[in-house]
Amino acid sequence: MDVIYSLIPGMMFFGLIFLVVLIWAVKKGQYEDMEGSANRILLDDDDDMVHQPEGKQNSEPDKSS
Amino acid sequence: MTQHRDHTPGNCFHCGLPIPPEADYRARLDGAERRFCCFGCQSVCSAIFEAGLQGYYQRTPEGTLLGPPPEPPRDIEIYDLDEVQQEFVTCSGDVRDIHLLVEGIHCAACVWLIERGLQRVPGVQSANVNLAAKRLHLRWDNRRARLSDVIRALARIGYAAVPYDPESAEGVIKKANRAMLYRLFFAGFAMMNMLWISIALYSGASRDEFRDFFHWAGLVLATPTLLYAGYPFYRGAFGGLRGGQLTMDLPIAIGLSVTYAYSAYITVTAARIGEVYFDTVTNLIFVILIGRYLEGMFRHQAVSATRRLLELQPRAAIVVRDGEEQMTPIRGVKPGDHVLIKPGYKVPVDGIVLEGHSAVDESMLSGESTPVSKSVGAKVSAGTVNTNGALLVEVRTLLQETTLAKIIRLVEEAQSSKAPIQRLADTIVPWFVLVTLVCATLTFLIWNGKDFGIALMAATSVLIITCPCALGMATPMSIAVASGLGAKHGILIKNGLVLETLSKVTHFVFDKTGTLTEGRMSVAQMHVAPGVAKEDILRNAAAVERYSEHSVAKAIVAEADKQQLNYRDIGASRFHATAGLGVDASVDGKTVLLGSAEWLVRRGIALNAELQAQAHELEAQAMSCVHVAMGDVHLAVFALADRLRGDARQLIGELRAAGIAMTLLSGDRRPVAEAIARQLGGMEVIAEVLPQDKDQMIRQLQRHGAVVAMVGDGINDAPALIRADVGIALGSGTDVSVESADIVLMHNELDKVRQATLLSRRTLRTIKQNIGLSFVYNAIMVPLAMMALVTPLVAAITMPLSSLAVIGNAARIRTLFKKQ
Repeated sequence: MDVIYSLIPGMMFFGLIFLVVLIWAVKKGQYEDMEGSANRILLDDDDDMVHQPEGKQNSEPDKSS
Repeated sequence: MTQHRDHTPGNCFHCGLPIPPEADYRARLDGAERRFCCFGCQSVCSAIFEAGLQGYYQRTPEGTLLGPPPEPPRDIEIYDLDEVQQEFVTCSGDVRDIHLLVEGIHCAACVWLIERGLQRVPGVQSANVNLAAKRLHLRWDNRRARLSDVIRALARIGYAAVPYDPESAEGVIKKANRAMLYRLFFAGFAMMNMLWISIALYSGASRDEFRDFFHWAGLVLATPTLLYAGYPFYRGAFGGLRGGQLTMDLPIAIGLSVTYAYSAYITVTAARIGEVYFDTVTNLIFVILIGRYLEGMFRHQAVSATRRLLELQPRAAIVVRDGEEQMTPIRGVKPGDHVLIKPGYKVPVDGIVLEGHSAVDESMLSGESTPVSKSVGAKVSAGTVNTNGALLVEVRTLLQETTLAKIIRLVEEAQSSKAPIQRLADTIVPWFVLVTLVCATLTFLIWNGKDFGIALMAATSVLIITCPCALGMATPMSIAVASGLGAKHGILIKNGLVLETLSKVTHFVFDKTGTLTEGRMSVAQMHVAPGVAKEDILRNAAAVERYSEHSVAKAIVAEADKQQLNYRDIGASRFHATAGLGVDASVDGKTVLLGSAEWLVRRGIALNAELQAQAHELEAQAMSCVHVAMGDVHLAVFALADRLRGDARQLIGELRAAGIAMTLLSGDRRPVAEAIARQLGGMEVIAEVLPQDKDQMIRQLQRHGAVVAMVGDGINDAPALIRADVGIALGSGTDVSVESADIVLMHNELDKVRQATLLSRRTLRTIKQNIGLSFVYNAIMVPLAMMALVTPLVAAITMPLSSLAVIGNAARIRTLFKKQ
């Protein structure tokens, strides 16, 4: 049972690491926008790579301003 | 590739709203003819296709209504000035960083559209949209692009953006909440680890060789928790004592200290008898911090109203010196300078019109949406919006002296002098604290005669067990649940504390325009000369008025649409508007005149005596009259009035039945306000008031002992909304009024006022029940503790139970609207 002398400090140490990670994440603004980043990954510019049945061209005119 | 998400033919291709029958906006896009509900949608959609971003429509989730794009901001060039940018930009070198508040973001597809759209603007280095906060973080190269170019690019694809400074906008409160959150995290971490140690101790470890080790582990966890996470309680307790008040923090602080000190003593001396209560210390801190954090979240963000008002402050003006126009930051403008105000621009100063003629939207000051006609010699005020003609103005006062600045001062004053809300729990706490301290002292004194050790332990357990958790959670939990329920039903509760107050309101004060009424003109009556067809007149009138932007003209066109008259095929030519008088145009070779009686007389038309008499009668009823003449004959009179909201009468009736006093406050003329009050069955009317009068009037009511709720929607209502015990704003109202209010009705339904009152009553009842619950708990546990019968295990089980009972009871509020 002597293992408990190292297990309990170990448990606290790991708990502390999670705590630090959590606080770091909040500080970095990871929780500021929960929806945006979740969706952004799905909204990629992959139109050129996707097969287009109508065979339409998807040349994107570089128009701005 | 452009398959529009779930596109129904009768709806606008861009925003998805139904297309009104009179709207005729089409565009050929990608080989298909698309129809739109308005010009805004049409131009935005065309711009999106032109930029090759039509993928936006595919990415919009099915069933999302985008809504028409917001009005693009007009005077954005001023943001190009370095002096103006300084307030927002973090680095003023060539590459600059700015936060923009973006209006019009609905869904994730908007994020894609904005980010892709801005990538193509030369000079933009990065654009990052925060969907939840509707913000854009932009980095751009000032040598290659101006800020106004970027804002304009956003406007083209349907978003209105204004710079803002996140630091000053939300800094202090956000930081305080953050700090509280970190403390909560830490207490949570300590509590979870402590649980294992406690379970080990309860299940027998307290009698074997590991006892001291577990005690020391508890001490290691509890010490930083008490010092760091428990710090707010000590600060609160000392603050309260210094102010001569017994606050809730005091018994918490005493209980925590005594419990901790006692447990630490047992640990250090390795005494064989006695138990440690480290788990109670951490649990208590964790649970109470949850309550505090919830409370902090719905505490009123009073700062933001002033921020919004300050944003209305114009930042630059076009100064005309020696015939040369120059954009000048507002600080560089001096009284006596001549300032040019272009159509669509905000008036930057208070001054007198020297040249020009225009209608100015003064809704900010008066709450009236109808623009006021201004010509040479008229006074204009900073913050109002010039709508159609250019004005040359001589500056009279600037910045701190303007009418807008006065409103800001009123708001600040109201915020600082408003009495804090007296919460039910606050009135009980001092007694509770006193009784607890007396009980603990008594326990100690009585037991001390027998045994010092038992006396110390019993007194300590009284302090620990008089659980402040349930009492501390009673209010925040109830309000948190009620706020969630309110939000679901379109009642946004910004300041949760007013939920207690709302049910006690004795006096409702209503703003007129935009609150009880719809805030825009509509045709109420129409009288024609004998032998003339009404439809004929209306058709011709609408054919002419559709070229005008005036609110009267819009009302007449809307009336023609309502009667489904076809006026679009009638060709009107030589349209001309004379500001403040009326319009004229030529239809089928005949001159059509619409305007005031004076306008007709000026054009040499004899007034029809009968119509004139009718017009006088209508004007006595506070309606505005528009006369129509065709081919030099006076033929008809339109009476226009601002219509009551559909549910206004019902709400007023119910409030009256409940015996609540009511007052109508209006910046409008007295006859108009009285006519509205009459329609609602009569109430006290105070008309022609200025913003400061509204504030004053509420203060007077309060001085006579009334608990006042103010319902309003305009910037001019802001000081009154803050001053009132409960400020309720309509969601359609100005940003400033929404920021100043405690409760916002999202869908402009006045009926929600009644629902909010119900919710408030229910919340107050639940708070009372919760306080009752915590008293019952204490009534059982305190005697036990005084008899020295409470062990750490009993404390560890019963204390969370009382908190759970309170939380469970609060959750029952959610059933409120289900029965109906």
